[in-house]
Amino acid sequence: MSAVNGERGNTVLLTLMLVGLGAWWALPVVSVAPNRIVPGEARYAWEVAGPAMALLASLPMALAALSARSADPGWRSLGLVLLALAGLPLWLVLAVHQLIDPELPQARLGIGSGIWCALFVLMLALLDLRTRQRLSTGVSWLLMLTPLALLAVCLPLGLNRLALWQEYQGRADDFWLAIGEHLLLVTTTVGVSLVLGAGIALLMRRYPEVQRGAFAVLNFLQTIPSLALFGLLLGPLAWLANRYPWVDSLGISGIGWAPALLALVAYSLLPMVRNTFVALEGVSPGVIEAARGMGMSRLQIFFQVRLPLAVPVLLEGVRITTVQAIGLTAVAALIGAGGLGRFIFQGLGQAAMDLVLLGALPILVMAILADAVLGNLSRRLGRGEAA
Amino acid sequence: MTEHWASRWRVPVIWGLLLLAGCLLMGQLEALFRWVEPDSRDVIFSRVDFLVLLGRHLLVVSVAAVLATLIGVGGAIAVTRPGGRDFLPLVAQVASLGQTFPPVAVLALAVPVLGFGTLPIVVALLLYGLLPIVRNTLAGIEGIDPSVREAARGMGMTSGQILRQVELPLAAPVILAGIRTSVTINIATAALGATVGSSNLGDPIISGIVNGNTAYIVQGAVLIALLALTVDSVFARLAPARRA
Repeated sequence: MSAVNGERGNTVLLTLMLVGLGAWWALPVVSVAPNRIVPGEARYAWEVAGPAMALLASLPMALAALSARSADPGWRSLGLVLLALAGLPLWLVLAVHQLIDPELPQARLGIGSGIWCALFVLMLALLDLRTRQRLSTGVSWLLMLTPLALLAVCLPLGLNRLALWQEYQGRADDFWLAIGEHLLLVTTTVGVSLVLGAGIALLMRRYPEVQRGAFAVLNFLQTIPSLALFGLLLGPLAWLANRYPWVDSLGISGIGWAPALLALVAYSLLPMVRNTFVALEGVSPGVIEAARGMGMSRLQIFFQVRLPLAVPVLLEGVRITTVQAIGLTAVAALIGAGGLGRFIFQGLGQAAMDLVLLGALPILVMAILADAVLGNLSRRLGRGEAA
Repeated sequence: MTEHWASRWRVPVIWGLLLLAGCLLMGQLEALFRWVEPDSRDVIFSRVDFLVLLGRHLLVVSVAAVLATLIGVGGAIAVTRPGGRDFLPLVAQVASLGQTFPPVAVLALAVPVLGFGTLPIVVALLLYGLLPIVRNTLAGIEGIDPSVREAARGMGMTSGQILRQVELPLAAPVILAGIRTSVTINIATAALGATVGSSNLGDPIISGIVNGNTAYIVQGAVLIALLALTVDSVFARLAPARRA
């Protein structure tokens, strides 16, 4: 391990912890608001429960910075970083008890930029230590989940006064409905573009002249900004719905899910077609030759040899498409397609930042999860084939 | 030579001229938009001139792109030097992990921290735009065959000379592809800036959605699409060998 860190120690951890300490002392850590409408009043770390408590809370980060200077900090640094992470929800509980008047049911606590910065820096430190300690993916996920679990434990202890939680409570049903809408739109998009993309990729293999044209069109579509594509589809669809009542009766109109799905599929086709095509082309001719030698028919070769070998690269296409669709669906909320983007744009419109967070954070989590799960699956399948 | 130049830049010039014509002559198409949107009083977005909106859009995107290129390429060079090598694994991981964050979410998260207006948009675009540039610069520099570097050193080149005359020229196509990705994403994300108080070509679309005026939406959408196609075709000509 000392070979990794060298005699200078872990400069990355040292830098990160110094940045974290700087954020802790220089930025407001929480904000207090008597109700939803009044903007919060920022409080610095030492204004929450006195300078001594603030000092105590920043101790793990300071010790981690000190430990980074030794040649082999390893597990000690990891423990300190985790301790610092665990301290953040506890600090919020302390802030609720110190600053929020229990007599005011509407009073709420906002998370300040100091805590966000500290959280970000600590996550980076965890990422860095994970690489250095060569932790397995499972263990590092467990480590990342610790602060989340602690947050859930702290909820009954007073964190229900967090502004974010209060926004959620005000629209809990709506929130889960939005998550459902979001997931439905994303899965439909991925499903439709998987089928269409595979079809186009097969056509390309059959007729090479299709290849250039199709890639040119798909590249062209991918270049057009999402907001513009949603807008451009809105006109023709509205016209169709006006002109033909049966289109309207299907629920298709200028705004809503129809233009959103069309645009999302249009964007998803490029990564899907590209990966399917590359995956099918990438199977080595030797393998196909061997299968033919064994007397397999063309269909057998395709379904029993080519397709299974292509699956890891194909899944890579599904991963890229899914992550992209999760983000683009948020934009689709602007044209009335629902989903979590609704909270973002509602919140921006009302200058209610916690509502924005309520929409943006789940989107972020969904994107990271989809990326991790599908990436892992594709790597695992790829390794299985190689072995 | 001039003929060669003309054929090479024909596509970007055509898209660019269409964009300019769209900005200047949108008012002439009133009859067409009247047919699209017969119920509204105004069918041509006239709160701000289209050219002004185009200028603001270009300004925001280019400021973010220039800064992101300087910081991104500079940072990637720094972490591939012996002095900054410690930071390489972390920077590489963040650059690829960060790209799974949807740009909308980044924009939305920037507002609570930075506030409304044009400056938060520039900062959000800059931060997000850094990722593809850093990632591609790292890939470009790390992808160079070590024997090439060895040969350059054998010829007596200093580290600075190797960077300027060997590494950067060899990595240039990959770096350029990163800048292209970054700018494409930023043009699209900047349009969403209209929802957080930064006026640009996204303005007619947002205002059309709010007022239920399809004509406004189409005007903004056509112009943004033309802008994206113009800029992308310029990048395509700069790097003819690569197609992302």
